[in-house]
Amino acid sequence: MIGAALAIARVKLVLEIRRREVIFAMLLFIAATIVIVHFALSGDTGAGNRAAAGMLWAAIVFTAVLGLLRTFAAEHEGGVLDALLLAPIDRAAIWLGTALAQFGFLVVIELVAVPVWWALFFQGDGPSVGTVVLALLLADIGIALVGTLSAALALGARTRDVLLPVLVLPLLIPVILGGVTATYGAFGEDVGGLRPLGFLALYDLVFIALAWGTSEHLLGD
Amino acid sequence: MPANRHLTTTVPLVLSFLLIPLTIAMAFLWTGEDADQGLSQKIFYFHVPIALTSYVAFGFGAVCAAMYLWKRTEAWDMRSYVGIHSGTIFGTLVLITGPIWAKASWGVWWNWGDRQLNVFLILFLYYCAYFMLRFSLDDGERRRAASAIFALLGIGLIPMSFLAVRIAQTLIHPTVFTAGGASMPNSFLLTFVVGLAGMLSLMVLLISVELRGKRTAARVLQLQRVQRGEDA
Repeated sequence: MIGAALAIARVKLVLEIRRREVIFAMLLFIAATIVIVHFALSGDTGAGNRAAAGMLWAAIVFTAVLGLLRTFAAEHEGGVLDALLLAPIDRAAIWLGTALAQFGFLVVIELVAVPVWWALFFQGDGPSVGTVVLALLLADIGIALVGTLSAALALGARTRDVLLPVLVLPLLIPVILGGVTATYGAFGEDVGGLRPLGFLALYDLVFIALAWGTSEHLLGD
Repeated sequence: MPANRHLTTTVPLVLSFLLIPLTIAMAFLWTGEDADQGLSQKIFYFHVPIALTSYVAFGFGAVCAAMYLWKRTEAWDMRSYVGIHSGTIFGTLVLITGPIWAKASWGVWWNWGDRQLNVFLILFLYYCAYFMLRFSLDDGERRRAASAIFALLGIGLIPMSFLAVRIAQTLIHPTVFTAGGASMPNSFLLTFVVGLAGMLSLMVLLISVELRGKRTAARVLQLQRVQRGEDA
């Protein structure tokens, strides 16, 4: 089952490397979002760590939603999904492999976007790197999980592209809250130690459990 | 099944028509004025029971969703949908009564520091999305399964939202109930319990009436098909 999931994730990543459909769009989108939020806050984000942290997290979540719009798209268009469903693999593997690929996309865009964010908003004394990286990784797991789940639910809906953000964003509000609070902690604010990071990990576990329990029914017949 | 019908319709109808006016009478005639908030505290007997009822309805929707995934019968899907529908109706009332109370006691319509209000806002957005999901899928097995899974995810989202809002915020909701029990006079507590019972009866009534309506509609459709000779 893990083998099948890894194979599916690899196919998606290889396809992405060849076609470059999603990651470049996500990169441009996150850059545009950061710039837009910066100007929407009348350019005040340089003044406040909190504004800078909020901007990063908002941009990441919206960018993740953009990337999710293409999940399962190739499968759906080419009829590959039916073949995958017929394959003698666990249904959970399809969902898990897709989530892994989504996680990979998120990590790649953050590798570019976070250093840029850092350079734009902090001169030398930014937040502590370890905490921010850990928070991002934990949040990426949750975003990829919940996002893939929602994308699978919206599959076959008449208004899929409009529907998906509406489904995902409320589910991701806890991730935003946890991630932003963890980032405040990285700036040295008192947020109760590792509690925000622990929360992000708990969120991942809860939704892994829920996704696992329902995966058999997820992709339908 | 007339006996069953009495249990799910007549009994809650009588109870809610008795208990909700009784709550109003108790709140205004019997309980004293709150020393701190004065008259505006009276909305507590409606706002909090409505909020709890809404959680119960969402919980009912999720339990029926789980039953649907297990049994795969349309009846459970319909129950789940109707549960979430009435949860959303009560949720709308929470989002109306909450700001009224907030305006009266804090002077603002919305308090972003208030945990319960914020959690409710997240859940409300979430369950509104449920209807979008449900009605943009074609009727059938897939729609029922997707709705059920989405309803079940709410079970994860409710505690996660509470925790997240708690971690992110420091401002505290007026804590009426504490770990040591309710910190209010008995007359307040009794009025609250009567109010809660009234709202819960109203919820049961709404759910069973809507379910009956849906079942009748489905039956009429089926009979029309038979009449046209499409169904054997």
